[in-house]
Order: sequence, then C-alpha cells, then structure tokens
Amino acid sequence: MIDFGLPLLIGYALLLFVFVLLSNYLFGKTEFAVYAYGLIAFSFVSILSEPRRNDFLKSVYNKYNYKKLRILENILYCLPFTLFLIYKKQFIFSIIINFFVVLITLFNFSTNLNITIPTPFSKKPFEFTVGFRKTFYVFPIAYFLTYISVSVGNFNLGVFSMLLIGITCFSYHSKTENEYFVWNYNLSSKEFLLKKTKTCLTYFLILSLPIIISLGISFFNQINILIVFILLSYAYLTAIIFAKYSSFPNEMSLSQVILIGLSFMFPPILLIFIPLFYSQSIKKLNTILND
Amino acid sequence: MIKIEKLSKFYGKNQVLNSIDLEFEKGKIYGIVGENGAGKTTLFRCISGLENYKGNISSDVTKLKDHLGLLLTEPFFFSKITGKEYIQLLANTRQIELSNIENKNIFDLPLNQYASTYSTGMKKKLALTAILLQQNDVFILDEPFNGVDIQSNLIITEIIKRFKELEKTVIISSHIFSTLADTCDEIYLMKNGEIIKKVKQADFNNLEKEMKEFTIGNRIDKLELK
Repeated sequence: MIDFGLPLLIGYALLLFVFVLLSNYLFGKTEFAVYAYGLIAFSFVSILSEPRRNDFLKSVYNKYNYKKLRILENILYCLPFTLFLIYKKQFIFSIIINFFVVLITLFNFSTNLNITIPTPFSKKPFEFTVGFRKTFYVFPIAYFLTYISVSVGNFNLGVFSMLLIGITCFSYHSKTENEYFVWNYNLSSKEFLLKKTKTCLTYFLILSLPIIISLGISFFNQINILIVFILLSYAYLTAIIFAKYSSFPNEMSLSQVILIGLSFMFPPILLIFIPLFYSQSIKKLNTILND
Repeated sequence: MIKIEKLSKFYGKNQVLNSIDLEFEKGKIYGIVGENGAGKTTLFRCISGLENYKGNISSDVTKLKDHLGLLLTEPFFFSKITGKEYIQLLANTRQIELSNIENKNIFDLPLNQYASTYSTGMKKKLALTAILLQQNDVFILDEPFNGVDIQSNLIITEIIKRFKELEKTVIISSHIFSTLADTCDEIYLMKNGEIIKKVKQADFNNLEKEMKEFTIGNRIDKLELK
C-alpha cells in the first residue's frame, strides 16, 4: 500500500523516527518536559475514550472483555511514550502515566450528557467552538504553568505554557471537516483560506494573551525570544491549516504528517512548506468552491 | 433557471447518471422520484457542484452554489456544536448576520443542546432551518420528510408552497408521493440514472397509479403470504 508515493512501511519507520526526534527535542529544551510528555501521552490515549466508539465496543463485548480490551489498547497506545520515558530513566513517571491511562478506562463517558460547555468562540467557524469544548481543561493548566513560571522566574516554563496553547489550537485543525461545510462558503479559495487563517491566529492570540502579557512584563529582557515563539506558533498554525486543505476532502496524508513533524525539528523548512501547502490547498478548494 | 444538458456521471466504470437533460424554472417546485440507487442524490450533488460530471449545468446566476440551499439526506453534525451554533455556522458561510435565532426556531428545537444528540428528524429540521435562514434562491431538498413528525411535515409542506410564491426554485426528492403531489408543479421519474418520465401536475394521479403497478406488480405474490 502506498500513501502519496510513500510506501507505508517506510512511512511508519519515519513516523517512529520523527517521534523519537521530537521527544528528544522536548527533553533537551526544558526540564519540565516530563510533565508535558505526560500530558501529550494522556491526550493521545484519550482519543480512544471517544463515547460512540466505546458504546460500540460495549455492545460487542461483555463487561469483562470490554475492560480487558480497553486497558490493553490504552497501554499499547501509550507504549511509545512509556518506552521513551524508560529510556530517559523516568521510571516513576512511566508508571504514573500508565496508571492514569488504565484509570480512564474505568470511567464511563456518557454520550447523552446534556451539559453544553460554554465557549467564547460560538459565533465563528466550528474549529474553535468544537476544539475549545474538547480541550477546555488545557487552558487553566497553561495559565497555571505561566503563574508558576513567573513566580519562580522560569522563562522557559512560561514559553512552554504558551506553546501548550499553540499545540492545542494546532490540534483543532488537524482533522478534515465534511465537504459540505466548505462547499457552503460563498468565498473564493483564497478568501476562504485567509478567513480560516485569520480566525485561527486571532483566537490563538486571544487565548495566549494572558501568557504573553505576563511573560512580557515579568521577563521583559527576553521579549525578543517571546516574539520569536509567537511568530513560530503563527507559522505552525498557518502550516497546519494549509496542509489540511491541501489534501481536501481527504484526511492529511502520512507524508504530510511526517513533513509537518520534520518542520518541528527544522522550523526554517516552513518557508518551503507553507507556500507549497498553500498552492495545493488553492487547487483542491477550487474544485469544491467552484472558483 | 437551471439548465442541465447531457449530464453523465461515472464512479469508476459504473455509470450512475446517463445523459440527463432537465430544466428547472424560477418559481416552480420539482419532484424527483425513483428507487433507491436510481441516481437522485448523485444528480443533486452534481447540480450543487459537489461532484465532477460530464455534460453541462448552467444557470442564470454566476455561481449557482452560492445561491443554493442544499439539504442532504443525512445531514452531518460536529460532535460538540449546538443547534444554534450550527445555524450560525451556516449563516456565516454566506456572510449573513443573524439575530434572534430563537425567534426563528419554527420547529421548536432545543437549540442550546449539542446537535449530535438530536434524533434523526430533529437533525433534519435543524439542517432545514439553517438553509432556510441562508436566504437562498434555489433549494435542493433530498428527502426532507424522512424521519420528520407529522406536524413538522405540514410545516415543511407549507414552506415549500411559500417558496413558490417567493419565486424560488425548489427541487425535492421524496419517497412519500402524497407530499410531492401536494407541492410540485412537475415530477420526474428516475431509473438507473436516467429520467424516464416527466409528469405535469394534471397527470400526478396517473403517475401514482402507474408507479404502483410498475413497482408492486406481482412482487408481493412471490412471498406466498398466508
């Protein structure tokens, strides 16, 4: 099987390579990497807690086998993170993470919850409305980390808390929407992409503004670095939006995911990827927006 | 007006639409009937521009899709978006400012609940409300009565009649012949990707009779029901 000219086996090997590179990069950058790593692993595994999927599994398996299956799949999903933590000699953290990924299988997430989580983004494109409701807990964590960073005078932790919001916003654009929601726009492909990008960057700025202001005031001498990280976040958010629509209406291909992963290692490569994904997006969107 | 000339559609080697010629005039209501798999939905997707096709589709507006309200057979909803936000989202796509959405909630839907938790009929009503508020000139309604309760059925029928007065073009597909007979000016019968019959209002009764004979025939006898 081939995905956009890339044999899948090579793709998986590359994916593993990128995972190890990114993990190493994270651990090399901050002393708080282990907490971030835990959070990323936990978010990754929580994909399997999707209610409709679990309702289906419950209807197929008896209670005992269902629990067994859920525990096993969560541990397997978490395995790359566990192995890397062991490699980094973070034995206690690897146990704690696995304890939590097993723990979440014990909870039932009801599909019929009538609670509507309020969001400040309900009037604009769906990405932030849906995304905010799915990840609302990340924001207090990020703001708390900023508070700690200012309290203990750790600039890196503050930057990390802003990047946490960047990664969260990034994830809102990783999944392709149904073509109906693109087709409906009475905009040209260019206007459509501009609107999506503008909204995303504005909302990212709103969400990270408390962090930017706090860090700007508390670490004024490092404001240049802060600006670089804001611009980098902007570049990655733009890249993911363009990458998403460059394969529209299909999901992003494995090769695109790998290219994005590589850009985290070598950010200047975004200068090539962003225009490339942009021109591909315009082509794909032209067919659906009849431009 | 929408003019379709020699419209054909292939999925691989499988031809699903075969050289269709149709015209839809302003201020008229058209019904499309046919068995499952006859090609109704594909025809709608081609008119909307959601599918590539062979042939020609033209209209008196520059970009038909921007004036078109499309109700899908099974509308898609995001998992954590409320009914109100869905309406807002579809209005935003056409740069329409909506106010007092609650007042326009003619189907009494729980607009502050997540749309994904709605029943099939409620989802249909929500999707219909959203495209009605888009202020379109042309409407394609794929099975608008599916799963909808009888009260809402009456409302939808009345809306379609109102569209005629407002000089809108409406194309509906439905398996419920009576609702089409109530609202349509013309009904087209589709089979195997072709329009096999075009019937004017005066002949609707004959069409129903013909369809019954043609569709039912002696099929039920084969069951040897006792």
